[in-house]
Amino acid sequence: MINHFKLFFLSLIIIAISSCKQQQVRQIPVRDFFKTPEKTFFKLSPDGKYISYLKPYKEKQNLFVKSLADGKEVMATSFTDYGIRDYSWTYNNQIVLSQDIIALDQFKVYAIDIATFKLREVLSLGTNVRLRVLNRGRFNPDIITCSLNKRDPANADVYRLNIRTGELKPYLINPGNITDWFPDADGKIRLVQASDGVNRTILFRKDENTTFKPIIVSNFKDMVQPIAFTGTKNNFYALSNINRDKAALVEINAENGHEEKVLFATPRGDVEDWGYSKKSKQIEYVAWNDDKPQIHFLSNDAQRLYNTLIRQLPGNDVKVADRDSAEQKFIISSSTDTNPGSFYLYESDTQKLTKLGDVNSDIKPDELCGMKPVSFKASDGLNIKGYLTLPQGDKNTNLPVVVLLLRNNLWSRTSWGYNAEAQFLANRGYAVFQINYRGCMGYGKAFHSAGFKQVGGKVQQDITDGVHWLINQKIANPKKIAMFGSGFGGFSALYGMSFHPELYNCGVIQYGLINFFTYIKDAPPFLKPYLKMTYEMVGNPETDADQLRAISPVFHADKIKAPLLIFQGAKDPRANISELNQYVRELKRRNVAVTYVLKENERTYFRSEHNRTQMYTDIEKYLDDNMHGKP
Amino acid sequence: MKPQQQGYQKNFSLIIAFFVLISVTLVVALIIVYNLTQRYVENEFASKKIDVLEQTLKPYNDLYLNKVYEITSYQGFLDSASAGKYSATVFKDYPFVKRTVFYDVRIGNELVEPGSKKYRLGISVKSIYEYTLNKQKRLTGTRMPDVEDINFRQMAAKFSYYIANADTSRAPNPDEIYKTFYDIKPDKVSYLNIPRRQEIKAYRNLQQTGQTSSFYKQNMMTFYLDPYALHVANPHPELYQQISIKPVVYDPLDNNDNKQQYVTELAFPGAFSDYKLYFMASTNYLQGEINRRFMPTGAIVFLIYFVLVFIGWLIYRNLSTNLKIFKLQYDFINNFTHEFKTPVSVIKIAGSNLRSEAELTERQRKHYGRILDEEADRLNDLMNKLLSFTQIENRSINIKRKEVNIEEFVKGFIETFRIKYPDFKTDYKIEGVDKFYTDPVLLGSIFQNLIENAYKYSHPQHKELFISVIHEKRDIVFTFIDKGIGIPKSEIKNIFKKFYRIENKYNQNGSVGLGLAFCKELVNFMNGDITVKSELNQGSEFTVTLPYEI
Repeated sequence: MINHFKLFFLSLIIIAISSCKQQQVRQIPVRDFFKTPEKTFFKLSPDGKYISYLKPYKEKQNLFVKSLADGKEVMATSFTDYGIRDYSWTYNNQIVLSQDIIALDQFKVYAIDIATFKLREVLSLGTNVRLRVLNRGRFNPDIITCSLNKRDPANADVYRLNIRTGELKPYLINPGNITDWFPDADGKIRLVQASDGVNRTILFRKDENTTFKPIIVSNFKDMVQPIAFTGTKNNFYALSNINRDKAALVEINAENGHEEKVLFATPRGDVEDWGYSKKSKQIEYVAWNDDKPQIHFLSNDAQRLYNTLIRQLPGNDVKVADRDSAEQKFIISSSTDTNPGSFYLYESDTQKLTKLGDVNSDIKPDELCGMKPVSFKASDGLNIKGYLTLPQGDKNTNLPVVVLLLRNNLWSRTSWGYNAEAQFLANRGYAVFQINYRGCMGYGKAFHSAGFKQVGGKVQQDITDGVHWLINQKIANPKKIAMFGSGFGGFSALYGMSFHPELYNCGVIQYGLINFFTYIKDAPPFLKPYLKMTYEMVGNPETDADQLRAISPVFHADKIKAPLLIFQGAKDPRANISELNQYVRELKRRNVAVTYVLKENERTYFRSEHNRTQMYTDIEKYLDDNMHGKP
Repeated sequence: MKPQQQGYQKNFSLIIAFFVLISVTLVVALIIVYNLTQRYVENEFASKKIDVLEQTLKPYNDLYLNKVYEITSYQGFLDSASAGKYSATVFKDYPFVKRTVFYDVRIGNELVEPGSKKYRLGISVKSIYEYTLNKQKRLTGTRMPDVEDINFRQMAAKFSYYIANADTSRAPNPDEIYKTFYDIKPDKVSYLNIPRRQEIKAYRNLQQTGQTSSFYKQNMMTFYLDPYALHVANPHPELYQQISIKPVVYDPLDNNDNKQQYVTELAFPGAFSDYKLYFMASTNYLQGEINRRFMPTGAIVFLIYFVLVFIGWLIYRNLSTNLKIFKLQYDFINNFTHEFKTPVSVIKIAGSNLRSEAELTERQRKHYGRILDEEADRLNDLMNKLLSFTQIENRSINIKRKEVNIEEFVKGFIETFRIKYPDFKTDYKIEGVDKFYTDPVLLGSIFQNLIENAYKYSHPQHKELFISVIHEKRDIVFTFIDKGIGIPKSEIKNIFKKFYRIENKYNQNGSVGLGLAFCKELVNFMNGDITVKSELNQGSEFTVTLPYEI
């Protein structure tokens, strides 16, 4: 009899296990999520004859060029030490590319002639130098206009770089307060933005021989982002939120700074992106992020083009990544929340769409999890938005939750779209909760400024409120909540774990910010103009020392109880490694279970695929161990 | 008996030798263990002071390694208010810090000499604040005159030297940090916040060119320490009776004459190097600890000793038992030879008589025939007894159970013996039992032996026996009561032993001392029990209890 029962139960268990297996989602390997993308940075040559892209060769990004005439593909570079950071075409079929040699703290610029594929070094620059290509000359294609902080690490000047000779000619010397340059199509700079840290000024000059005159002065809470001259009079397109809450596309008269007309405005969010046709000198469309990305067309041609595309790529978030100068050929990128995206070549004359490659072909969209916009009321009544990615399967209550805060910039928001970390965690069975706390940009001026001097205050309260909301909705298992943050998100995670230890099981920190004093002082020199603004937005270390001390996790190592996993690249320019070491030492002394991974030869973001895979494998195992086993 | 006597004596001297040896070993072991324990405790008294130092200096090391690092975390942004708050936390957590002095340091350029146009790195103090706790344990801060004191000047010199020689391509390593940013003097620790790489570079630049657009801020803090406020931790109260903090020169003279105390000392490192920990324990105090530690080891030694003694006793007991058995077997052979000798000599005499007689009369023939027959029976009987006893002892016979009518069985024996011994008065009583299952042969043997004994060991006028059979619960109890000579108390436990015979006039011959041993073996074999009650010259009562089976 007993034996019969045993058999019965055994078969029951087997049935239960096998039925679980059927429902179980396939675990996508870590590497598939975080491998270096296969082909990215697709660009068209200005004459429309070549397509170039970056592809890993020996795990490092290298440049490949494909001829559209005969379909031949050539590997143009063969770097094996460090991959290519950025590249651009010139109008005479040269490619300028840059490489960041982390071990030597060096920054190098190369050029390649497409006819011979010969690589030549143009520039080699020292530590902490930033080069930005502002313009490629159409009439003198060998000259590119770039900004470079070579003279003074704190201030970028504008140079004309001859890519044949490597000759660097200063064009505009920064008097010390210029933060942005807006070249016109010829590379002439007539519009610049200056900042004294708190106030921003747009300056204009009629031609290169006259001096710059301020036309618009705005507080840093306001934003005026020039786009391009309209071609009529001296008007220019700009995104502006002066005298309104949400940024709108406007036309501004450069001579007096007056707003001539509003081209597009929406109460649903700040206009953030635009499509500009150099050929027609027109803004084709503007884009903004509501719960999901939105687009509005200003030109019929563009709408027609897009409608054809959208018909062929249903449901995808479509963007024009590059176009040739004749605007006949386009590189189109498309992606969704469950699709890392693909690149296409679109030829408008034949309306032919050719797939160029996937960002990550190992990811199958139907195995991924949808990103659902959610909103909740913060404890002071403010409406806070966020996104919730639930794991596949029927179960949607009492789930283990990872609060994911990936924030390279304190004020940047999470937008709807594919996110490798979120999908990785959801695939492993965790509900992923992303919160756009107050202060995030994109929701208008009022929401943004609500976060000023509230870092660690109401900003942090929003996160706590969000977690409580998730628990009250019965979605979260209150005993299985983890914090996962990078950069400022790392700060938020540490802060949450220091001051709400009852709420969180464990934390994963990637290059987390631990000390606001250091953050403010350690700002790389090229961020100096923003420092005063930071004083206003976060706090002034001289006058708000108590507040900064109160929110900086480094002073509160004694409050952390839950286990921590910390990742840091040793060459991260913003991190103070000795301080982090001291912090970890202090945590260990207080018997906090902290695992500290310090990788040599990595900057903020781990560029080595091996290190990255290792990191996420560690994270997976760590969450398994600390969230009481598999979800 | 003589050889055995000698055996006993030999044994005894050996035993004494053994006991003397292990007792001596015991004493030696105890002395050695005690000495070792004493030395161990004395060693510990000298060596465990490191633990005390470690424990006592734990908060100091914590302050030194962790708490002061907080000043660096402020990145030079400390001012009089935040320095005060920081000092308050220091006073709270580290009571041995009595006073802190905060230096708001400015790094800028200064003229090489008045009137010249050359600049160099200038390290100066903008303001100095002193913080203490007042009597109400409240923090008080006072601004001091901005005079650069010795603490600051030394730190500034070290820092300036570091800037001149530092490798600016990397952050300072721990060694450089210790040598540059810490300044440890008796009773005080000064700390300067560690600048980041970029700042060191900027300072270097300033040092070389004298060019700067602004000044930089550094923070320095000096902690004044009171060694007497250190909480002396005593993790070994069993060793150290008293631990105190004394100046490093403290050395009381009476120590040398007074041998009643153990004393040791250990100097503090770092900022407390003018002081030492002074450990004291009286001889009695340490003696107590020695005894306490000696107890368990002593007990173990004693335990081993007693185990040895016990084993010795066991060996002795074994030896003496063997000796007794040897003696019994010797007796047995003696008796048995005697027993056999009688019939054999009778047969021998009868045989020789028969041979010497020329003619046998009828009376003679019958006489000799009867003698030969009787003696042969007797021999046979002896042999059977010996044989069956061996069989029983080896369990090589089987019980053949059958129904026995008790009354008939008892009556039969009484009849037989009445014929055999006409002067034997026997009677019986049977209660509550009629018949039961047993092996009649084995039960017969028991009856035979016990009845025979009752007759044999009785005075000629009192040859009486009463047999009672009672059914008692699950047992059947046979009782044989005689009025015989009885058994002395000292012998009662021996009578069931093999070859054992009580020395008396009744068994000079015709007994081998096997009867009762045989009975006991039989009863045990039948899962029963045999007991005896007896009183000297009054009679004996043998009780056989057998399981009642139907």
